[in-house]
Amino acid sequence: MMLLVTSGVAPYLAQAESILDVGDTFIVPLLLKLAFVLGIFFVGPLVAGYLEHKAMGRMQHRRGPVEAGPFGTLQLVADGIKFIQKEDLIPSAADKWVFAMAPGVALVPAMLALLVIPFGPGVFALDLELGLFYVLAASSVSVLGVLMGGWSSANKFSLFGGLRAGGQLIAYELPLILAAIAVAVQAGTLSLVGIVEAQAEFMLFGTGINLWYVIPQLLGFGIFFVAALAELSRPPFDMPIGDSELVFGYMTEYSGIKYAMYMLTEYAGMVTMSALMVVLYLGGWQLLPGVPLPGCEAAGGLFDCGVTGTLLGVGVMLGKILLLVFVMVWLRVAYPRLREDQLQRIAWLVMVPLALLNLALVTIAKVVY
Amino acid sequence: MAPSAPPGIGLLKGLGVTIKHLFQRPSTLMYPHERDVLAPRTRGVIALMDENCTVCMLCSRECPDWCIYIESHKETVPPAKEGGRARTRNVLDRFAIDFSLCMYCGICVEVCPFDALWWSPEFEYSEYEMGSLLHEMDKLREWADTVPPPPPLDEGAVLPAEVSDALAKVEKERELAAAKELEAKQAAEAPAETAGDAPKKGKAAEPEIHVKAGEIDQEAFDRLIAEGKSERMARSKAKAAYVKKEKARLLAEAEAAGGDAEAESPAPKAAEVKVDAGEIDQETFDRLIAEGKPERMARAKAKAAYVKKEKARLRAEAESDTGEGTGADEPAEVPSELGASPEAARQALDADGAATDDDAAPEVAAEAATTEAPAARKLGDIHVEGAGEIDQEVFDQLVAEGKSERIARAKAKAAWVKKQKQAKLDEEGGA
Amino acid sequence: MTGHDLVFVAVGLLTAGGAVFTVTSKNLMHAALFFAVTLGGIAGVFLTLAADFLALVQIVVYVGAVAVLFMFGLMLTRAPIGREALDGQNRGLAMAVAGGLFVVLSTLVIGAFGDLPTAEVTGPRIDDLGIAIFADWVLPFEVLSMLLLAALIGAIVLARRESGESGEELTVTRIEMAQDRDPEALEREQAALTSGSGGTGEEHA
Repeated sequence: MMLLVTSGVAPYLAQAESILDVGDTFIVPLLLKLAFVLGIFFVGPLVAGYLEHKAMGRMQHRRGPVEAGPFGTLQLVADGIKFIQKEDLIPSAADKWVFAMAPGVALVPAMLALLVIPFGPGVFALDLELGLFYVLAASSVSVLGVLMGGWSSANKFSLFGGLRAGGQLIAYELPLILAAIAVAVQAGTLSLVGIVEAQAEFMLFGTGINLWYVIPQLLGFGIFFVAALAELSRPPFDMPIGDSELVFGYMTEYSGIKYAMYMLTEYAGMVTMSALMVVLYLGGWQLLPGVPLPGCEAAGGLFDCGVTGTLLGVGVMLGKILLLVFVMVWLRVAYPRLREDQLQRIAWLVMVPLALLNLALVTIAKVVY
Repeated sequence: MAPSAPPGIGLLKGLGVTIKHLFQRPSTLMYPHERDVLAPRTRGVIALMDENCTVCMLCSRECPDWCIYIESHKETVPPAKEGGRARTRNVLDRFAIDFSLCMYCGICVEVCPFDALWWSPEFEYSEYEMGSLLHEMDKLREWADTVPPPPPLDEGAVLPAEVSDALAKVEKERELAAAKELEAKQAAEAPAETAGDAPKKGKAAEPEIHVKAGEIDQEAFDRLIAEGKSERMARSKAKAAYVKKEKARLLAEAEAAGGDAEAESPAPKAAEVKVDAGEIDQETFDRLIAEGKPERMARAKAKAAYVKKEKARLRAEAESDTGEGTGADEPAEVPSELGASPEAARQALDADGAATDDDAAPEVAAEAATTEAPAARKLGDIHVEGAGEIDQEVFDQLVAEGKSERIARAKAKAAWVKKQKQAKLDEEGGA
Repeated sequence: MTGHDLVFVAVGLLTAGGAVFTVTSKNLMHAALFFAVTLGGIAGVFLTLAADFLALVQIVVYVGAVAVLFMFGLMLTRAPIGREALDGQNRGLAMAVAGGLFVVLSTLVIGAFGDLPTAEVTGPRIDDLGIAIFADWVLPFEVLSMLLLAALIGAIVLARRESGESGEELTVTRIEMAQDRDPEALEREQAALTSGSGGTGEEHA
């Protein structure tokens, strides 16, 4: 628990004062925002999981869940109840404390990362000056949870899964951060809200055509997307789980609520990473480039939107997130798992050089224009 | 790696395939809500006709999973006839199949020599506990009620050997009975007495006229071929034509045999107690239900009991009507067993059991159909030694007529037996 | 004592506790995990001193990379699986060294900065930090990057020579690569491997 508090909660605690200080500038009260973030954290993965069930099923000529709730929408709720009921097994040779803490260590950073992501005009819990860096830092701590789980299970498959996860996350964190840095360079800020604003104001080479960063940084977007998939251990980068090779990787020995926490981490990570990509490359809560939301034309379509504009903005943001989640599912269905050596070769020989090239191009363009 | 395609095309193709399938209809059948039409011979569960089981243990030994458990004991059956020897037979005590082990290979059904094991299309017997998948004899017996009847034979198809043999036997007995009747009438002063009293239960039914199935009507065949029909079709039609002709001929012959023949009027046969499928013996049914048997089984047994009762009653009637009887114990219904389902076979079997009282209880439906059909009472009492003998004259004649050797031998044998019996009868009459 | 001070004390205790457990736990993996706790605690201390950027760097680099690398290396090499313990014999000596070092360092720090007046905590803005690094301190920054580059190249050279010395491993690597590129080359390699002479023989020499 100490580790948990230090790595996760402490940054938030330390920021608490400043949040309260600037509370009056928020449109919605702070607690409401926190409730909203928690809601996203618990409902988002459910929606993402349902989308995955359904889309994957239809792509494989199945129907996906149909029985639990209307159109099977409550399937994951039923699954959650099932997980809670299950016996909480701990292998006798396992390191009990580490084994028990590992899912939490993986889960909490995924939750904390959502704090700074803006879900709409003024709808965010925290506008950190270092928002982007904060999200990346939080997600990098999740690896610890995976490694802890892999080692403490006292199982060779778990150990291999943990090792693969460690190697993979170290390798792909580099292109992920390099791609994100390119965005920060172009926007001139690390604040996620600031990056959305910068996209609303960005004109392509002074022509007056407003564009989101996905166009000038298409390469960076691709790198970020692939690296995000690898960071989340999503197929085709799911070697740490590799159910045909490693039983279930670092999750082999987990059952019940702890297993559910790992799964929640994965799906919350999908939502978080998709939200981050929307903010970095797809213009955040803007509906179209250069078109302000109804109700908030005054502030360039970004803030003080009134109820309709705010709700519309949140809806647009969530829609874009679900779109990216769908693409992740799509890739999972379409592609087979990579081999471990291919994974590392792609990371170091393709992704890192391309990310560096992207960063150099963006920096040069930024300085020239 | 495809050498010619530019890199990345394969990745896009993969995405294209998956997105295309996203918008197609899923091929799922929503099983508990919708049901597929299963093939009629679906292998759902293995059913047991325990009456047919002789405890030969073949199924149990052949089972790759060793999931069939059989327990039995031996019983001594008193001799069927005076001076015969007592026989032992196996009595089935327990027959169980563990469907948690069974892999549905069907080897047991294949190897069963007495049609005791059948495939039933029922498949919804999942349980909450693995132990409940061990189906004991009563449950396996219940499944037997769900076995569908075998498909009907194709038109003009060669009858199965046991059926045609049985038919031949029936025909032979009929001839003998007719001959004996004739004899009796000639001997008796007042033949009309018997004829008048005999209940006119009907004439010889058409299917009882046996016609050898291999033959074809050459004339019809030639004509059909000339008309351009395919050979196969022509053959089958010619066969049908032959059968028709022969039957007509035989009927005519039978009628020509004289008004006396008409007086023969066979006594009510057990087979003619054709019970409506719906009828059951309510008493038996109630008793079985009270004993806690499942409804399906109770119904089947009650039905059997009803058939048994009816037959007994009719036989008693016939006997009281005809005095000494003109052969009350006619052979069991054979034609109806051509396509007999186990259910029908069982009923016939019960009926036979009733007819033969406590004679060694028949064990096999097929046997019942073929061997259990006893001769007409009078002739049946006559014992003829030396079943291997044949009537050489008849044999030669038949061979000369171009019949196959087997048929010729069989007929010659029958002719010999007939002769012998006739001779004995004559002796008795003389005495 | 303000809430700020309370948080600082709590985080400091956490850091110190993590450090103590790091050196006293008998299980290597536990030590590595407590080390991660300590590093995270230090990030917390930075936060309470309003050094946001430094705190996040501490987490990304030390918790997310260094501690993970520690655990990764331990798991690859000799991490005891389960509750098996791995411990050295020099506890007394280590304790003496650590204690001495602690006394010397704290004396030095208190002696050097102890009489400075306590100031209001105001962290630098991230913009100021960037401008400082790339304007005033650009030369040390570049020198540092040269140092890191040298370390990187050195590591690659070491790693390459080791794998190059083992002829067998080299052959295996080449087959793997051939699988991805050229089926004919794969056949050649396999033929060479099975014949045990020819092309691979020269490379062994």
